[in-house]
Amino acid sequence: MSTNKIAISTQGLVKRFGEEVLAVNNIDLSIPTNTIYALLGPNGAGKTTTVSMLTTMIEPTSGSAKVSGLDIVLQADKVRQRIGVTFQEIVLDPDLTGRETLDFHARLYSIGKAERLAKIDKLLKLVELDEAANRRTNTYSGGMKRRLELARGLITNPEVLFLDEPTQGLDLQNRANIWEYIRTLKTNTNLTLLLTTHYMEEAEALADRVGIMDHGEIMVEGSPRELIDQMGADNIRIIGQGNPDLFCEAAQTLPFVESVNKSDGIIQIGVDSGNRRLVEIIGTANTSGFEIEDISVSKPSLGDVFLKYTGRQLRDK
Amino acid sequence: MNATILLWQKQMKKALVHPEEIVGMLIQPILWVILFGVGMRSLMGTTSPDSGNDYMTFVVPGIVALTAVSAAIAGGSTWLNERLIGIVKEYLAAPIPRLSILMGNATSIVTKVLIQSIVILIVGLLMGAKLSNNPLGWLGGLLLIAGYGIGFSGFALAVASSTDSSEGYHMMIFLLQLPLLFLSNSLYPLETLPSWMRIGAYANPTTYVVTGLRQITLGPAPTMGTVANIPLWLCFLVAAGFAALGMYMALQAFKKAIK
Ligand SMILES: Nc1ncnc2c1ncn2[C@@H]1O[C@H](COP(=O)(O)OP(=O)(O)OP(=O)(O)O)[C@@H](O)[C@H]1O
Ligand SMILES: [Mg+2]
Repeated sequence: MSTNKIAISTQGLVKRFGEEVLAVNNIDLSIPTNTIYALLGPNGAGKTTTVSMLTTMIEPTSGSAKVSGLDIVLQADKVRQRIGVTFQEIVLDPDLTGRETLDFHARLYSIGKAERLAKIDKLLKLVELDEAANRRTNTYSGGMKRRLELARGLITNPEVLFLDEPTQGLDLQNRANIWEYIRTLKTNTNLTLLLTTHYMEEAEALADRVGIMDHGEIMVEGSPRELIDQMGADNIRIIGQGNPDLFCEAAQTLPFVESVNKSDGIIQIGVDSGNRRLVEIIGTANTSGFEIEDISVSKPSLGDVFLKYTGRQLRDK
Repeated sequence: MNATILLWQKQMKKALVHPEEIVGMLIQPILWVILFGVGMRSLMGTTSPDSGNDYMTFVVPGIVALTAVSAAIAGGSTWLNERLIGIVKEYLAAPIPRLSILMGNATSIVTKVLIQSIVILIVGLLMGAKLSNNPLGWLGGLLLIAGYGIGFSGFALAVASSTDSSEGYHMMIFLLQLPLLFLSNSLYPLETLPSWMRIGAYANPTTYVVTGLRQITLGPAPTMGTVANIPLWLCFLVAAGFAALGMYMALQAFKKAIK
């Protein structure tokens, strides 16, 4: 067994597809054992490509990575014994029933019969598919398929589990159940989990650490709390007409302003106390000739961090 | 090994899900024997009284080869489909050797081929073909068929691993299939072929497998020429070599596809 305290590490990991596409650009990760790590990023950021390399599905163009202390290229076979994966797209055999799908998967990982049967029942209950278990998966709805895949990813006792957008397309109730199970799993076992997501609430609810990814790079990394705190205590969001640069420069000089960020037509100003500073911010906008159309104060969220580092909003809500 | 068995089981189970596939699989060889075999027998029967039954005996191994080829093509098509849907990813991420994924598929194809072959032999017998008296010869025949089936399944899997389109797959397979079947002695005796075709036939594993079957699995068919000009050991060697080559090609193509 690995005595390593780091479950996933990468050094200068790069993946190119042909000459044109630089999907993953030089990322360095170091994820301790028993951590839930969320890769949060917009479409095309390189999340799936990163996961594909770490799960030995594709080889990196350059750089190296270790999972459970094993090199993903040189020891790919051994890595596969230690990991579980669910892919972004649904990959279920339409001819198998839900139960057969889980049974087949567990047998791929040489899990003994007694353990298999017990886990299958437990997981089918967890994902609320016990009643549909003996139906072929081509009769399942999208959400049911997703849940079955999740159960499949969890059945093999992996040391490191990779979930590529695990709760995509699930309703709130189901998502909450899955989160709960993942948290329990993390507490009760030594599991390390890397997940990718578009949902910032998912990252906030689950992750010990979040990496915000864009254009193949990790833009910023930290615990959700750390990331949110660096935005300032309160976040003032402004949309308006006029010259935003002048206004941002002026706002920057105010003593209580902790951060100013302008992206996607939205100005975000981190301040020590939103309600108290609103008037002064509006005043500054007026004197710099910026006409405010909409202004709001809120506690900053990961969404605001995301906007700051990627210049884009998470549009999934 | 375990993984091969597991994947074999899965493919077999998948086949059972579709009864129409099973029915088609059994009817197809029967139709070949009855429509093609019987038709040709009547044609042959006009030359001499014995040669009708002799042709039936002669052509049964050819129909077996033909059936093996179509089963392999269907199997390759299933594989392509699994690749396109992404089901193959599940196998790829699992701690099992790449080769056993392909072997699981090839052996499931061959299982179907062996069942079909037995059906062909039985129907052939009913239609006048003569079987060898030696049960060992029947077993040896099944081995030859298995080797041939694995080999051509390997080629089909290789082609299905190198293309992303169903049309492309069928086009390429067609180009392999025709010479493999017709540039051989499966449907007509080698002696009757022009010499350039005979050379091609000697380069074709189908010829060896079919010849081996005629030597040990079926009875003599004197009016259809001799079958002893290729030694039996060479028939087995070629069948085994073809199986190995097919699987090697499949593995290389598959590895290239997942680079
Ligand atoms: N097989 C491939 N061939 C060529 N380009 C690819 C391939 N796979 C991914 N890419 C490109 O690499 C980039 C990163 O893709 P990736 O799938 O990793 O993004 P992602 O962050 O998972 O996005 P999403 O949130 O949409 O799933 C994209 O520009 C994509 O077009
Ligand atoms: Mg993705």
